[in-house]
This record gives sequence, structure tokens and C-alpha cells, in this order.
Amino acid sequence: MFFRVMDKSRLPDLVKGLSEEFEVVGPVAKGDTFVFSTIHDPAELRLDYDTTILPPKKYFVPPAEELMRFSTADNEVLSAHVYSHPRVIFGLHPCDINALMLMDNVFLGEYEDPYYKARRESTLIVGVNCTPKDECFCDAWGTDEAHWGFDIFLSDLGDHYFVSVRSVKGADLLDRYVETRHITPEDTAEFQRVTRQFKESFTGHPVDTAQLPLLLDAKFNDPIWDELGDRCLSCGACSMVCPTCYCFDVHDKLSPSGETGSRIRTWDSCQFSEFAEVAHGHNFRDTGSSRVKYRYYHKQWGYLSKFERVLCVGCGRCERACKADISPRIVVDALQAGGGTL
Amino acid sequence: MSTETYKMLHANPYRPWPARITSIRDLTEKEKLFELRLIDEEVREAFHFDAGQFVEVSIFGVGEAPISISSAPSKQGFIELCVRNAGDVTGALHAKQCGDIVGLRGPFGRGFPFAEMKGHDVLLVAGGLGIAPLKSLINHIHDERHDFGDVTILLGARNPDEILFRKQFDMWKHRDDFDLIMTVDTPDDTWDGEVGLVTRLFDRINVDPTSTYGAICGPPVMYKYVIDEMRKKDMDADRIYVSFERRMKCGIGKCGHCGVGHQYACVDGPVFNYWEAMNLQEAI
Repeated sequence: MFFRVMDKSRLPDLVKGLSEEFEVVGPVAKGDTFVFSTIHDPAELRLDYDTTILPPKKYFVPPAEELMRFSTADNEVLSAHVYSHPRVIFGLHPCDINALMLMDNVFLGEYEDPYYKARRESTLIVGVNCTPKDECFCDAWGTDEAHWGFDIFLSDLGDHYFVSVRSVKGADLLDRYVETRHITPEDTAEFQRVTRQFKESFTGHPVDTAQLPLLLDAKFNDPIWDELGDRCLSCGACSMVCPTCYCFDVHDKLSPSGETGSRIRTWDSCQFSEFAEVAHGHNFRDTGSSRVKYRYYHKQWGYLSKFERVLCVGCGRCERACKADISPRIVVDALQAGGGTL
Repeated sequence: MSTETYKMLHANPYRPWPARITSIRDLTEKEKLFELRLIDEEVREAFHFDAGQFVEVSIFGVGEAPISISSAPSKQGFIELCVRNAGDVTGALHAKQCGDIVGLRGPFGRGFPFAEMKGHDVLLVAGGLGIAPLKSLINHIHDERHDFGDVTILLGARNPDEILFRKQFDMWKHRDDFDLIMTVDTPDDTWDGEVGLVTRLFDRINVDPTSTYGAICGPPVMYKYVIDEMRKKDMDADRIYVSFERRMKCGIGKCGHCGVGHQYACVDGPVFNYWEAMNLQEAI
């Protein structure tokens, strides 16, 4: 990796320059919250955002997408396209960058998903550092830092950015569109100071991850799951706002003539009651309790058993979205506390 | 065809390949046996499977359903699927005629450890539709019979009319290279076989625990009791294999629907040994 220093006043140059080649997406204000949206004017970009309602996964696995078109008469695939174009996501926090890398394990591993891959390959990532909010617990998983998974990363050092450059493409674009200078030992020292300050600024309730996978098995029949299940509304909001929830459903949509149609993939959630139901009606997780438990079991142990990372980046979106006051911190606390009470 | 188009059509794990129905046989009131042949020669020749693996059957406009392969891997060029009319896709499949085209993806999942089982005795236990995946293993063993020791097959069904592949198994009752016992919960006038649950048949068989591999498939409720019987015969947990039915929607470890414990039935299973299954929460 190599580094540059960029004056903050140059930021609009970079955004404008990138706009010539890419759709630039970034955090913009929406009411009193933020969302990722297309940037038409560099002034819209709000790099001081706390978090967004939806994570950036919508740019890689859209809420609904057509996998293929078919004809019903001879059960034939007519076409299969992925609709992607050059795009920059500008201003991803380390949690969301790490989340994309967790998604990569699923979609780019065995049985590579060509839709995800095409979008991933046509998308550049520009990261930016952040200030932890009360809901954030990325420090628990080590996802408060992104070491790869981006093309360019901007660390705010007051009136300038300490710029980490990870890819050739990132280096080229930086060279082409913005004036930067080489770093000095003073810049690195300042970067270290800001990093230390960041590490010490986590104000929220810490997450005790000690032996968590083991606890999930040892306390599999603990009454806390019944309490959580009674509370859970099975609304699936936690999955929708989660940057690492990748489950999907597939259904066929027929044209009015019934002769052709589209096979569509949509976001799904293991919290929906029929998620694990099989054809003749048997439901392997027919209680709220078994579904809440499965979500945590999979994130903190199932995924870990395959990829050696937990499927959570501590972004706090699910905690904000949940109407029933269920969050990773509450669940982990209950497991660590001996169980039985919430 | 552009490279991109070629990739999306040929290297796309979601893309079903057209297969022609070359034969349909009524097995019972609810189950039919379909013989399918992939139309594209290249795809057909690349299609190799193990007993216990499954395919996704696609009927455009209706959807996809995971179905285990019933024919033996020793027979190439076609596959047989034993399908119960139980949902939208299987209902639509039942309405198809010989010569019609459906879509196929696969084969997917981990099947039975056929190579490892060779040289050993085998005890196969099926309940109801559970014979569908086990039939592939049974026929594969049949085709390479000299590589195995004693082969015992225990079949359970609710009543004689629901016994799948009954004609074949009626004939096998008289063979000396297979010990086959069938039992039904509710007999009728024609039935002269065993009555009661499949677990009752364990009194009638001899098992050499040092050499026997077990394979079980049936309704969810059956596993625990059959495994108990096998354990009573001192069979090792990692030599007892079970095949699980789950909602394997994508077949490729992505959609999440078939999660069982910390694994996915579609890529990590559907066949697990009992030691693995014991470590899968809520599996049995």
C-alpha cells in the first residue's frame, strides 16, 4: 500500500473527476438520517454521516433482481444478463468495507455468483474513517479497521486527508483527478494519533465475545431464546438493514401472456416464519424463538465455522431497526450473564 | 455470442439446463418416477453424480424444487427422480407428459461415501419417500455387488399401496445376495409381510459392528429411533449416514434456506454421518 496526503479543499475535484467515468454513490442526508444515493453535486456528499439506513449491499445484491428471462412453452432460458455499470461508492466506513468482504466469501467462493461478481468488479470503493456512535461495536470484531477491500481510503486529519491507496485503479484515478503530495513522518505520526483517539472513543456498551461460539452451543436450550422469541415480531427488519445478511428467495414472474417471464431474486430473512418450511408443510423453525436463535447461531458460529470470521461487523443498524429491542449486544450480554433473564 | 453473454449462460450456477422427460411411471397415488435426459450433449456428458446427491428441478413460471436422484451413478446419460406431488413445482411436474421439457441444475451436495463403504457390510433403512435417495445407493451397490459384504435393506411404509418400487423389491425378496425386509404400519388383505415400525425389524437382523455402514432416510421423526437401534447394535456414530430433507432453494450454499445447525444441507449435506449430525443443532 502507498500513501498520499490530499488537501480537504480538493475533495470536490476528486468527486467531479470520478463522476466523468463512474456513477458516484455516497452518503447523503435524508431527513435526519442518511442514505447511500447517487451524487450529482459534490456538495451533496456527507462524509460526516454516522450511518445509513440501508447498507451498501443493495449495490451488489439489489433488493430484487432478474436472474434470467424464460419461455414457458419449452422451458427454455431466453437470456441472462447482469445489469452493472462503472460505479464508485464513496465514503464507506470500515464496517461496511469489511461486510462486503464477508459477502465475497459467500458469493465469490464455491459456485461463483456471476451477478454479484460483475457488480463487484465494476465498483470502486472509496473508504472514509468515522467516529463511533453509541450503537457501534465494530471494535469487538476487529472490523473497526479496513486493511483491504477498498481502492482508496481517506482518513480525516483535520484540514487534509491521509490517503491509503490499495489498487492500481485507485492510484490512477487519484493521479488523474486530484493534486496530492507524498506523506512525511509528521503525517504518519498525526495519522497514528488520530487512530489512537478513534480507538479510545468507543462510548457504547462493549460486547464480551469470550468463547461466544461455544456458548451458543452450550446454551442452545437456554430460556433466554424463548424470551427473545416472544419479543421478536418476525418482521425481518434486522436482516434487511444488515450489511452481511445475504439470504435470498427466488420466484418466477410471468408476463401477462403467460408465455414468457422472469426469474427474480429478492432479499429474504431467516426471521420470516416460512423460511425453513419444506414442500409438504413441515417447518424446521416454526417458532420465533428458534428463528431468533438461528440468526445469531449462524452469524456467530455457522459462518465462522466456514470462514473463520463472525458474520457481523458491529455497525449497529439492526439495533436501530429492531422494534422489539433485540440486538447483538443484548443477546451476547444475556448469553454471557448466565442466561435465564434479559 | 459475446464473452459476457456466454459466461452468463454457461458459467451461471442459477441457469437450469433443459432436460427431456423420457419416461414417466406411476409408482403410487402420490408418487411418480420420472426419467430425464439432459438435451445438451456437453452438459449431459459433464453430469456425474454420487448416490445421495440432488438436483434442482425447474419449471419456469412455477419455480424450482430440490429432488434427490434415485437412479444409480453407474447408469449414465439419464437420471431418475422419484417425485411426490406435494407442492407447486412437484404438482406441475406431475402434470407433465413424456417428451415434455423441464430444467435441471446440479448435481448438488455431498452424497453417500460409496468408495469408503466398499468392502464392508451395509445396512440400509428407509421410511416412506426416504427410499428415493437410498434407491440410488441400493442400485449402485447392486451394480457393484461383488465389492460389498452383506447387504441388508429394511423398508417401512404406512400401507402396502404406499411402498415405492414394490415390484422390484418383491422380486429382491427371493435373492440371496440382498436381505430385504419390508414392513407396513397398516396391512391390507394382500399383505403377508411384516407389520409395525421399521425399528421392530432390528430384532431380526445380525449386524457385525466392526464392518457395517448404515444409511438412513425417511421422515424427520424416524431418524432418532433408527439411529438408536443401530447404536444398540454397537455401530460407530461415524459409520451411520443420514440424509436430510431441508428447503434447498439455491443448492449452492447461498440462499440460506436449508441451514441446519451451523451448516447448509445443500453443500455440506444432505448426507451427514451421525457424529456430524449430532453436532448439528436441531438436526435430529
